[in-house]
Amino acid sequence: MSNQIAFWCCAVLVVIGALLTITRRNTISAVMALVLTFFALAAVYTLLSAHFLAVVQVLVYAGAIMTLFVFVVMVLNREEQEPWALRGIVTKAVGLGALGYLMMRMAGFLFTRTAARLEAPPADWGGVHNVGELLFTDYLFPFEAISLTLLVAVIGAVVVARMPHPHAQQAANSAPEQEHAE
Amino acid sequence: MIPVSHFLALGAVLFAIGVLGVVIRRNAIIVLMSIELMLNAANLTLLAFGRARHDAHFHALAFLVIAVAAAEAAVGLAIVVGIFRNRHAANLDELTLMKR
Repeated sequence: MSNQIAFWCCAVLVVIGALLTITRRNTISAVMALVLTFFALAAVYTLLSAHFLAVVQVLVYAGAIMTLFVFVVMVLNREEQEPWALRGIVTKAVGLGALGYLMMRMAGFLFTRTAARLEAPPADWGGVHNVGELLFTDYLFPFEAISLTLLVAVIGAVVVARMPHPHAQQAANSAPEQEHAE
Repeated sequence: MIPVSHFLALGAVLFAIGVLGVVIRRNAIIVLMSIELMLNAANLTLLAFGRARHDAHFHALAFLVIAVAAAEAAVGLAIVVGIFRNRHAANLDELTLMKR
């Protein structure tokens, strides 16, 4: 019973946080609402006995990614005149209609089937030991590949967002001369 | 205990809110945050199915999804900053350079 109450509290927090995220005009308020959503989602993961993923959610999402968002909001400090996009309304209406249809079908599926009851998982299922062992045995290659992906992403982000150096042009022009002089 | 369908319904609602955010907002940062919401909805669905089947492989998959989401956020935000430096626009409707 206490699980039920915890689930409904967290679910309400997740939905409210997500709605605030997409409706706030002030970008910092939207980022903070998204942090709330991620914390509530971590709690939902704990209810699913995914303890390791809950910790990763708080560390990576609520910690690292949202810090990145806050810094970018700080760089691009601009007020929006009109936050709602009204151009291309026809294609967007088609997309929203498709989304509504999908939601209707899913709701029909979820609420006509009898809900599967969950038995208690084995002890330490979804903990650091369990998932870590899996990551370093069966998923060793994807794990290493994802670290390479992150490295490439970080280098790409630095290259794309780097401030162009004011003397870069001069240095490029004078470099061949220096070589010639030597 | 809580039935799995509750978690799946929460994931579906979260995904729908993410799609709404991508469709109705024009601020590039908010659109990126909506994409993060959709990735989280996918993760929640993965973990719910993993819990139903008692299969920890879903957890490894969700971990990889989180890592890809981090890379996506870094590159996406870098592109937003780069566009802002060059064209002074963080508004997606103003970025029509490739339409002309």
